[in-house]
Amino acid sequence: MSSWSAALELGELDLDSAFRDAVFSQLRQSFDRMNSSTSTATPPQHAFEKRAADVKAPKSDINALILDYLMMEGYPNAAAKFCKEANLQPQQPDPSIQTRQDIQHAIHSGNIETAISALNKLDPELLDTDPKLHFALLRLQLVELIRQCNNGDVTPALDFATKNLGPRAAANREFLEDLEQTMALVIFPHDKNLRPELASLLNPDLRRTTAARVNEAMLLRQNQRREAAIRQLVRMRAWAETSARAKKKDLPESIELGLTASSVEGTGEGDNEAMITT
Amino acid sequence: MTNPYQQQHGGSNFDPLASSRLPPLNARRPSYASVVSGSPSGLTRPARSGGFSHLLNPSPDSEQQTQASGLYPASMAYALNAPPVDFSGREEAVSVGDEIGDDVWPARLGVSFPYFSRAFDLYMYSKDSTLPDDYAGREDIRFPSATSIPNISSTGFLSPSYLRGTVYLQKLEEKHRRMIFAERGASSKGGAAASSSLSGRLTSNGSSSHLSATSAKVASSAQKGVAFDAVEKPIYPAEEDDTVSPLPSRWNRDDKEAALEVLGDGYEVRHTGRASSEHEASAIRADHYISPSCGVYYFEITVLNGRQDKIKTPQIAIGFASKDTSTSRAPGWEPDSWGYHGDDGHSFASQNVGKAYADTFGVGDTVGCLINFRLNHALFTKNGRELPIAFKNVPFKDVKGKLYPIVGLKKKEDHIMANFGQRPFMFDIDGYMKRQQDLIEDEIRLADTSKLASGLSETDLIQQLVLQFLQHDGYVETARAFAEELQAEKTALRLNPQETVKGISIRDDEDAHNRQRIRRAVLEGDIDRAMKYTDAYYPTVLRDNEQVYFRLRCRKFIEMIRKEAEHNLLLEERRNGHTNGKGQALGDTDDEEMLEAGAGDNSGNAFNGAAPAVNGNGEDLDTAMGDADGSNDPAGGLSKLSQEALVYGMELRAEFAADQDAEVARQLDEISSLFAYPNPLKVKEVTHLLDGSGRVAVAEELNSAILTSLGKSSRAALENVYAQTNVLLEELRKDGGDGAFVTVDNIIRRIPPTTLRPA
Repeated sequence: MSSWSAALELGELDLDSAFRDAVFSQLRQSFDRMNSSTSTATPPQHAFEKRAADVKAPKSDINALILDYLMMEGYPNAAAKFCKEANLQPQQPDPSIQTRQDIQHAIHSGNIETAISALNKLDPELLDTDPKLHFALLRLQLVELIRQCNNGDVTPALDFATKNLGPRAAANREFLEDLEQTMALVIFPHDKNLRPELASLLNPDLRRTTAARVNEAMLLRQNQRREAAIRQLVRMRAWAETSARAKKKDLPESIELGLTASSVEGTGEGDNEAMITT
Repeated sequence: MTNPYQQQHGGSNFDPLASSRLPPLNARRPSYASVVSGSPSGLTRPARSGGFSHLLNPSPDSEQQTQASGLYPASMAYALNAPPVDFSGREEAVSVGDEIGDDVWPARLGVSFPYFSRAFDLYMYSKDSTLPDDYAGREDIRFPSATSIPNISSTGFLSPSYLRGTVYLQKLEEKHRRMIFAERGASSKGGAAASSSLSGRLTSNGSSSHLSATSAKVASSAQKGVAFDAVEKPIYPAEEDDTVSPLPSRWNRDDKEAALEVLGDGYEVRHTGRASSEHEASAIRADHYISPSCGVYYFEITVLNGRQDKIKTPQIAIGFASKDTSTSRAPGWEPDSWGYHGDDGHSFASQNVGKAYADTFGVGDTVGCLINFRLNHALFTKNGRELPIAFKNVPFKDVKGKLYPIVGLKKKEDHIMANFGQRPFMFDIDGYMKRQQDLIEDEIRLADTSKLASGLSETDLIQQLVLQFLQHDGYVETARAFAEELQAEKTALRLNPQETVKGISIRDDEDAHNRQRIRRAVLEGDIDRAMKYTDAYYPTVLRDNEQVYFRLRCRKFIEMIRKEAEHNLLLEERRNGHTNGKGQALGDTDDEEMLEAGAGDNSGNAFNGAAPAVNGNGEDLDTAMGDADGSNDPAGGLSKLSQEALVYGMELRAEFAADQDAEVARQLDEISSLFAYPNPLKVKEVTHLLDGSGRVAVAEELNSAILTSLGKSSRAALENVYAQTNVLLEELRKDGGDGAFVTVDNIIRRIPPTTLRPA
């Protein structure tokens, strides 16, 4: 059974989703029955799991984490719906959430020029006070220009680099290295032989991380926290496990988040990820 | 209690300086006699602000004194201005200790006993017997007594500023709260007994629709024995183990060398000079050991020796030591003892040969002692300045017998006062603690999350956690909106416009809607509706989940009490706002009509006359007013609302009377105690029972039960992350490790508050 379900999870079997749901719900039920009928026979739960099960995860805290995330990382529609469904009211309606979302969207789409001008309109001093961020945006813009050249005419990219990035890079060694690396993209063909560090520049993750940095900067300028609390929680979880293992605390071999079991439950999210990032 | 000294001491013109910088003391400082006689005004704990001002008000002819007093920085002046007041109430009477040693006041009083004279002993130790036996207990519970000590709560809880927000202190507080609650419970037992006599008669009405289902449940609950709370359980349950050993809070009169004398409220120690000459030193330990789970521990002492002393640096030592060390040797000389000595500035690490460590210290100096259990070192401070690390690489957490704050004095008239955190420290220990926390938070910021879920970046992981939670908990609309926004994001991120991004399908399942409907009912406080829906959609859930059923029933009771309390509160506000007569104040709006309905309980019958005028439009009102004149009811004078609540409470008790689970009984007692107060919303210690967050807890417990009944995991992955992190930190917290400095709670608390929309 396990190999089959693994295959299903990986999307290797091409099943239509309704059918898949039906199969899984049956599997789950039979599995649950099995579990409950043989509960005395199953190996004893690790003390850690038991303790974790006893810890309350107050819904007020979880709700706060969710709403905070939706607001801070720019999901205005979901945030509004969540307030309604969870009977919460946000401390103050935040008009900037939409602006931040627009700017992020522009960066995600590769429209860096649009993003920079929107950013300057929102907060004219932001980029001036953060040269690193400004450079990161300009470099992303250069990457997008190079991508558009598609190994053809590289003049627009070279002009942009000379005009906007060159002067900044001259003053800062780190900038210079980044610029040189980016310019290498002009020379090498964008294929499988591209060096990994260069290939990573062409990956949409660069848009994502740059957009996240811009978002953080905007949040900070608005006297808010830099990032959503859920990120800190997830990192704290990772850190705590690493530290506890380093201290040889008695822990189960792996501590499951319980994410995969239920992502099977109707989302097919795992498949999406695989598809988009490749 | 007519000791003339005491009366004098209470006089306002006793201390010119104090009276010049403070409001007239007569008003704030009732005579001791009134305290003892138990008059309400006298029981408000006075700020005994003048006690130390002689130190700040040196006699002009003493140059030494002037100089010495100049050494006291502002915070010190503050500390001295408001000398410690013992929260237990017992030692209030011994406050004369504060003045002893002052060479000014005995002269003024025309008394010439030396301060250590036995004449004062009578006065100092016989006080207790003159107080009513239950004096201390009553004071603790009823009267906000220690308001003059910044970091001690009205119920006597010590919370040093640098430990606030730590789990250690949270646990201590929880333990303390339970203790106070238990005391209250005991004191209100009379009321409970009276009401239970009603129960037999009232429940025989059999008006509960759930009674039929009960017998089966009662039987099953005994087997389950699952502990659960009527109110939201704290994340860190109060354990009865060592990790919640209380903080050192004062010197221990029973753990000292005979020559020492503990003064006043237990913060001051003085050498009486009665030591036999072979004693090398006279030491005293604090009342509790230092629990390593606090991570960092800190306390300070201030040397109060008379400034006319010829020796500026008396042989006074500060440090920490296990219980086994002798109190007739100086701190640091014995195994498991560490100390810093004022006369030579040496540090001593478990041997009588010291090392040159820092400055000497003496009269007027404040010296602090800091143990860092995480870094295995200890250091001292002098007058707010951090001194170098004194003891390195010592695993203090492993010391057998635990460590206690200790101080050693040598000569007659050596005199110190300790700050165990009851007031601000001179050293910026909060800043030190913050730096420790920042170090660890920096480490956390760099943590690699890629191992948590293979193949997922941090951002992807978080998106999945959120999406899964929304679906799991039945936030259908939100999940859909979020999925759309995620898809838009992914569409933007794709490089090839021809590429299509597969949407995330959010199943529109009936089940999620049903759960959402039930949740909404609970969140709005409409427990009946929630139970109705639950029975309709998931008929087995309440039957199979005794705890959830019990919690819902308890919550309904709480909602009844809450409703009435809110009405009373509003009514009271109105009454205070409109003093021109009830005719105008009431009867104008629905609100006021509602208020009237709930008014009878504690306001006597002031508003009964207005009742006929009511043409209420809410059900509650109609029924409430229907027999508002039911004065022949045995409950006498109770409003309809609280009568209903009472009846319901009785039913609840009867229904679960046979339950073997101690926790069920405890919770019944707890919520029944709400009846003990005219308006529980105004009683700080019970308001949490009525809090709206309790609805969230009940709603979620019910939702989990439904999910489990459907064969789904009762928890979303995000909740697992939360719980696992808590347990992992708990592990790291043992012995004051990294986990002592960070909490999940701290992360949550940084989120700007979102509030439950008022129902």
